[in-house]
Amino acid sequence: METLYQYAWLIPVLPLAGAMLIGLGLISYNKATNNLRQLNAVVVICLLLVSTVMSFGLLFSQIQGHESYTRIFEWAAAGDFHLSMGYTIDHLSALMLAIVTTVAVLVMIYTDGYMAHDPGYVRFFAYLSIFSSSMLGLVISPNLVQIYIFWELVGMCSYLLIGFWYDRTPAADACQKAFVTNRVGDFGLLLGMLGIYWATGSFEFDVMGERLQELVVSGAIAWQLATLFGILVFLGPVAKSAQFPLHVWLPDAMEGPTPISALIHAATMVAAGVFLVARMYPVFEHLPVVMDAIAWTGCFTAFLGATIAITQNDIKKGLAYSTISQLGYMTMAMGVGAYGAGLFHLMTHAYFKAMLFLCSGSVIHGMEAVVGHDPVLAQDMRLMGGLRKYMPITAATFAIGTLAICGIPPFAGFWSKDEILGATFAANPAMWLVGWLTAGMTAFYMFRMYFSTFEGPFRGNDDNIRKELLVAAATGQPAVAFGPGAMDVRELQSDVEVKHDHHHSEHPHESPLTMTFPLMALAVPSVLIGLVGTPFANYFEAFIHPPGEEMAAVIEHSEEFNLSEFLIMGGSSVGIALIGITLASLMYLSGKINPGAIARQIEPLYRFSLNKWYLDAINDFLFVKGSRRLARQVMEVDYRVVDGAVNLTGFITLITGEGLKYFENGRAQFYALILFGGVLGFVIFFGVT
Amino acid sequence: MNLAEFPWLTFIILFPIAAAVAIPLIPDKDGKTVRWYSLVVGLIDFAAIVIAFYNNYDFNEPGLQLVESYPWVPQFDLNWSVGADGLSMPLILLTGFITTLAIMAAWPVSLKPKLFYFLMLAMYGGQIAVFAVQDMLLFFLVWELELIPVYLILSIWGGYKRLYAATKFILYTAGGSLFILVAALAMAFYGDTVTFDMRLIAAKDYALNFQLLLYAGLLIAYGVKLPIFPLHTWLPDAHGEATAPAHMLLAGILLKMGGYALIRMNAGMLPDAHAVFAPVLVILGVVNIIYAALTSFAQRNLKRKIAYSSISHMGFVLIGMASFTDLGMSGAMLQMISHGLIGASLFFMVGATYDRTHTLMLDEMGGVGQKMKKIFAMWTTCSLASLALPGMSGFVAELMVFVGFATSDAYSSTFKVVVVFLAAVGVILTPIYLLSMLREILYGPENKELVSHEALIDAEPREVFIIACLLVPIIGIGLYPKIVTQIYDATTVELTARLRDAVPTLGKDAPLAALSSQAAPDLADRTN
Repeated sequence: METLYQYAWLIPVLPLAGAMLIGLGLISYNKATNNLRQLNAVVVICLLLVSTVMSFGLLFSQIQGHESYTRIFEWAAAGDFHLSMGYTIDHLSALMLAIVTTVAVLVMIYTDGYMAHDPGYVRFFAYLSIFSSSMLGLVISPNLVQIYIFWELVGMCSYLLIGFWYDRTPAADACQKAFVTNRVGDFGLLLGMLGIYWATGSFEFDVMGERLQELVVSGAIAWQLATLFGILVFLGPVAKSAQFPLHVWLPDAMEGPTPISALIHAATMVAAGVFLVARMYPVFEHLPVVMDAIAWTGCFTAFLGATIAITQNDIKKGLAYSTISQLGYMTMAMGVGAYGAGLFHLMTHAYFKAMLFLCSGSVIHGMEAVVGHDPVLAQDMRLMGGLRKYMPITAATFAIGTLAICGIPPFAGFWSKDEILGATFAANPAMWLVGWLTAGMTAFYMFRMYFSTFEGPFRGNDDNIRKELLVAAATGQPAVAFGPGAMDVRELQSDVEVKHDHHHSEHPHESPLTMTFPLMALAVPSVLIGLVGTPFANYFEAFIHPPGEEMAAVIEHSEEFNLSEFLIMGGSSVGIALIGITLASLMYLSGKINPGAIARQIEPLYRFSLNKWYLDAINDFLFVKGSRRLARQVMEVDYRVVDGAVNLTGFITLITGEGLKYFENGRAQFYALILFGGVLGFVIFFGVT
Repeated sequence: MNLAEFPWLTFIILFPIAAAVAIPLIPDKDGKTVRWYSLVVGLIDFAAIVIAFYNNYDFNEPGLQLVESYPWVPQFDLNWSVGADGLSMPLILLTGFITTLAIMAAWPVSLKPKLFYFLMLAMYGGQIAVFAVQDMLLFFLVWELELIPVYLILSIWGGYKRLYAATKFILYTAGGSLFILVAALAMAFYGDTVTFDMRLIAAKDYALNFQLLLYAGLLIAYGVKLPIFPLHTWLPDAHGEATAPAHMLLAGILLKMGGYALIRMNAGMLPDAHAVFAPVLVILGVVNIIYAALTSFAQRNLKRKIAYSSISHMGFVLIGMASFTDLGMSGAMLQMISHGLIGASLFFMVGATYDRTHTLMLDEMGGVGQKMKKIFAMWTTCSLASLALPGMSGFVAELMVFVGFATSDAYSSTFKVVVVFLAAVGVILTPIYLLSMLREILYGPENKELVSHEALIDAEPREVFIIACLLVPIIGIGLYPKIVTQIYDATTVELTARLRDAVPTLGKDAPLAALSSQAAPDLADRTN
């Protein structure tokens, strides 16, 4: 076992080696490497499989009770300053390693099918491999600086992968938006990190927490200052885990290929924020204001995400807002001190959300056979329907995922979400109420998604809908379901041709085995993994608990299981989920209620949700346009004032020079005398004083 | 002959210059022999630098090494005196490296190739001389001499406004140099002894007012070169008009001369004045970072955009050297080295792109990446390096400056908070202008008009090789910064100790010495 720990650094290094191998191949022998196609994929997947096996070995050994292991080396030094890097394997990192590697391997297998015809197939695998490497490096980081390093690296991978189809303008915009928004969060993380280092002189989590608390208690540092540092650090997770107000990048990030949406923007990278909060728990737990801020941010984000997801018609955007909402739950759990529950939800969500995204990819793959490679058409649920007949495996796995996210027992999501809601109720009933309502909305929008995609008649060949969607995309307005011309006169004027490619088939087909196998594999944990954390036998909590908390306390805590309390809490959340499901089935399955009519009744609210609370518009006006305006003004100043002054001086010199040249005699000795005299006078003057 | 006694530095400086003098004698009509000749000379000289330092340079010794001193014009007390310490040595190495690559980047130059390569080789020696000489008067001379090749390269091989740019460049820098001459003379004649030897000058004890005056003068002289706001406006013009190889030298080496001289002279010779001026440097640094980043964002001309990004990055050098911490000073040095590599690579990419698109205006580009995949990859990597992505050198340098300044005990907390906050705003602004630049050049649908009249051919092996050469140290430093920091650490630590002595309120120990000795046991415990 010791050998395994000593070589644990191989876990992130192996995928990196794979990526470098392919990268070098692409640069030096582009054609040959591209022609090898699947060989590249096999190499990368095999390397990652080795990492997976090692990760599970470590997880197993940690469960057996092996103590945590840290290895560091000196990375940078200047004078007395030393900064170390290395890796640490403890319960949390072993768990994260296992989650990341399993999802990554399955997504890579899926990619082979999904990207089979893409010219960038090999490059995609190289990026995927770099991402896996960075993400694995992040979870085994022993200190905050190393987390920050990998934090930015996963951000870079996200940037590269969102912009993977770089000839598409929306992808180009989205990748920049993602990186810059994340940099805003990193800005806070950097400042907070510097502040805490200034105060405590350490980047180690435990040391930082301990010393900061000592300093606050002894009054050496005002608690407000410590709180400020905590909130600044939390800005990092706010951006990375797409919490309000920095969540705006995540829905746009869906411009990337779907495997990326599953791996990076649902299962792993976006959960890194929650992971960081868990790592920083020793610091945060002593700062009640920070904990409250975290909890409320999460709570509000959960609500916000769900309200927007209700009206989305793009299947991936809908899932993206659902991810935002679920990440809000995790953050809220962290904030109310339910450390284990938050990470439990992180784990279950990673599996079922990855599966849901992969299902959506499978659906899009099927739809592209009918409507062509246009994301406007292929991803819109108004063109889907009845797909269960054509894609039974995808439909079944999507249904499992939907049940899991809605919190229907015994699926995974029930146990983790119920634990979060229980802990929240104990901490703050108001927060619980929001979380509980959100659970209802979650059930509603997820079943709306399921019904409009997989049930009812297939609408993919309806030219009217197609035209409507294309017109809406061309005018840049979100399509409203009221009929053409109702909202925007341009809709009537613009004439978009609906192209008919006759080689497209009439019906979608089930995806190939490389795509359906990962779906089926992920369905297993989506159903069963929740059972490791049931309230009556919470193995998960016994394994994952806050670093400060003693083992005994955890066990004691889990033993006070109260059946009636569990039934009330669980019953209420299942109840509201069932209400949501019923509503969704009445609207989208049987058609007894017309959703359009309801939308018309509460039109301001409907538009508010459809336009994403107008946050993108505000963001665009305030920050994008604002920064451009400011930059232009500064450039004007630079050009007219600073440079203008220089040119003016030059001009004046020219004029005076013309005048002065008549007074000069041209004797070099005379100039030398003046210069030397000046210097001498200067020295004497200062020598005397 | 004993290798240890070989006059290495003199050879390194004079060899390219001597080789340049021989260029007119080479029979060569189309310029193809000359470029090979220059490349070989550059490689030999770079090899000589590496061998000299590998054999004779001791990292643990803070003072000057490889010292040579010969009387040149005894009447003026002018000595040919060269040497290298931690401040010079990495920059000499950088100069050899970048200049050799610049010669390779100049491969397609077809206008007056003999003169061009003559000037390149002359600059090679001249630039190294600036970093190596240890005599004030000689420093002034080589500082002036190295301007002439730059002026000529700008005014002959530049763009449309080349004469305006070249004149502006020469007026600015020559104007600044006057202050160097006056300060050099004043320092030499001050006190009982008359000497131009930098070490003796640094050891003199000047009156505070005298120091302040000299400091201000030198700050203007070197502030032009670095450049520091508001003395920067020559740079966008000069950079906007220069050809790619000249660019690489301007951004990679010439800007570093300003930073080098500020650290060696302003900080090293006038420590009392440095203590007074340090807050000014910090504020100027912050202004540089934000002001230049915003201007860069608004620029529509690619070259000017990157030029302003250089100005922005140099702000960190100012903050680092004014931090009074080992870490900050070390970060300032590393930022110079790192920007030397990254700046050169970005300007090379600008040149490579211009060779294909024949325009520098962003509005006339777009979707260029579709045909040029390698150019795309190289642009992305270099831009990510420039926006301080971890794993590359820029990140380490900026992080060291940030941590160094944040833990400095020379400033009040409020001042530090404001400065760190504003400098960190630069961290947000940098990706904004760099990534939107990438988006406008490479992403999106192809610009039909551009594609209609330009054949966009992907990078040739020579170009890939140059960028790969630059990326190896960029990533190497990013992964393991100690390989470079240990070279100069002894010198910067000694310099910081001297600067801290000049501030009476500061303790003798580094600010976090007490804390890090507490932290050390924790770390040690966890190692096993």
